[in-house]
Amino acid sequence: MRAREQEAGSFTQDRKRNLAARWKSFGQASFGYILLAPALIIILGLNLYPTISGVLTAFTNQSLLDPFNWAFVGFANFQKLFGDPVFRISLVHSLVLTGLAVSLQVVLGLILAHLLIEQVPGIQFFRSIGMIAWVLPIIASVVMFRFITLPNYGFINILLNDLGVGHLARNWFGDEKYAFVLILIMHLWRNVPFYAISFMAAMQAIPSDLYEAARIDGASNWRQFYHVTLPNLRYIILVMVVLHVTFTFNNFDFVYLSTGGGPVNSTEVLPTFIYKQAWNGYELGYASAGGVLMLIVLVVLALGCRKFIGGFSEE
Amino acid sequence: MKKSKRRLVIVYAGLFIFYAFLLLPIVWLVLSSFRNTDSIQSGRLLPYPSELTLTNYVEAFRIANLTTFLVNSFIIAITVMLLVVFIASLGAYALSRFRLRGKNIFMMLALMPQFFPYVLILIPFYVLMSNIGLVDSHLGLILTHTSITLPFALWMLTGYFAAIPRDLDQAALIDGCSRLGVLFRIIYPIAIPGMVVAGFFAFVVSWGDYLFVSILSQSPETQTLPIGLQTFMSSLQVRWGLITAGTVIAIVPTIVFFAIVQRRLVAGLTAGAVK
Repeated sequence: MRAREQEAGSFTQDRKRNLAARWKSFGQASFGYILLAPALIIILGLNLYPTISGVLTAFTNQSLLDPFNWAFVGFANFQKLFGDPVFRISLVHSLVLTGLAVSLQVVLGLILAHLLIEQVPGIQFFRSIGMIAWVLPIIASVVMFRFITLPNYGFINILLNDLGVGHLARNWFGDEKYAFVLILIMHLWRNVPFYAISFMAAMQAIPSDLYEAARIDGASNWRQFYHVTLPNLRYIILVMVVLHVTFTFNNFDFVYLSTGGGPVNSTEVLPTFIYKQAWNGYELGYASAGGVLMLIVLVVLALGCRKFIGGFSEE
Repeated sequence: MKKSKRRLVIVYAGLFIFYAFLLLPIVWLVLSSFRNTDSIQSGRLLPYPSELTLTNYVEAFRIANLTTFLVNSFIIAITVMLLVVFIASLGAYALSRFRLRGKNIFMMLALMPQFFPYVLILIPFYVLMSNIGLVDSHLGLILTHTSITLPFALWMLTGYFAAIPRDLDQAALIDGCSRLGVLFRIIYPIAIPGMVVAGFFAFVVSWGDYLFVSILSQSPETQTLPIGLQTFMSSLQVRWGLITAGTVIAIVPTIVFFAIVQRRLVAGLTAGAVK
């Protein structure tokens, strides 16, 4: 900053010095570009290029069996997608899962944040271990959930037997009705504490006189929450929602590793559907078309969240 | 007084519900990894002391290629962590301290990959990696994990570096410190908490990645723990003692690392977004 001001001042006084200063500032800027180069190369070369290439692949008939021999086929892959019942059911599952997971995460996250913000003895312990599920490899979480829901000796079924309601015990992941619920529960298990701890941090930053003023005006706890807490959390809520809409909608591991999309497609989501088209069906072009549609849906969802939460908070 | 006591009961009851749900799968996994097969299959919630054993751990190492998977995971995740923090810190230094043309466009470009479906990126990635002969190599996986974690790390560290007062760099520059010296001697020491969180993020993503490894790695020489555990789970069907022991081994490094960074984690993870 300062160097720049000096540079501007010298312009009227001494052109020669100005030229030297500009040369120096160019030298500095180019050094900046050199520092940025490795990151630039990786982001352009290994993030943007593959994505653009993926979008182009969506319009080809590229196959994994002969990946270097392909032709453009226009919108054929997209037409095929819309006619594919498994694609349609995967899209519905993905949307339902994302909608349910994120809205429940916000509600449960807000509740847990209100508990974690209480200065009760031992609260530091609860705050510190909250994020533990978030850091675990997803395969490890899947092993845990498969293990507690095992039909014969899983924790849940043993507990149901011990409580005398053994007829409720079942093969949870193998059951068409419950497998999807379990996927949803795993998403909640992993991410609710992350929401809660972020919300709590934002709540601690809300000035306490706002609450005092509300109390003097006779506002109930519920109204204080609605008129003070919620508006002040709108930014962090937006950040967490956009982050997790993306995470949940794109997540492949939870479904693929726990149910593989079954039983009978009851948990199939877009990422697992696309993965199977590419790597089991060898149809790279067709799979890419699915990926492009995912990308479009995701952008629409992210913009929608922004609009909804932005508008909601202004009331 | 009475009201605050009631409040205390409600808070603890609420916390108990949430944390029972959070910790139950983990505790059950760890407990079971020390039980023998008969005990696991006994249908009892708690084992008798005589049923506790370390055999599962010994067997897990002996039967499966657990050591190979562990070594691969460590090589890849640690290299990715160091590479991401180093490259992101250079880039963040440039973005926070230099007047660069197209800086805002670049920041937008750097954020976009966060939204890209990995299943879509994976396809061109595979074609690219087979073109340059990096399929089934450590280097290929390291590059892949670096590229998927770098955008976020760069964003986070740029925000972090921007918050460090420039007066400090100016003083060091006047004292004859070079531009690079400022980064290493002034900014690094102050930014260590942020850099540790960025490194932790890269480590956790690389350590836990299943999707990319499942395609880009094709032999046990390069496969990492998530692949190992998945193979374990499908091939050892009934031997849950071994599966749980293998899983515990896979989560210990992330938990130890988590214990170190835990206090700064959330602030760090949301800082990039808030800036």
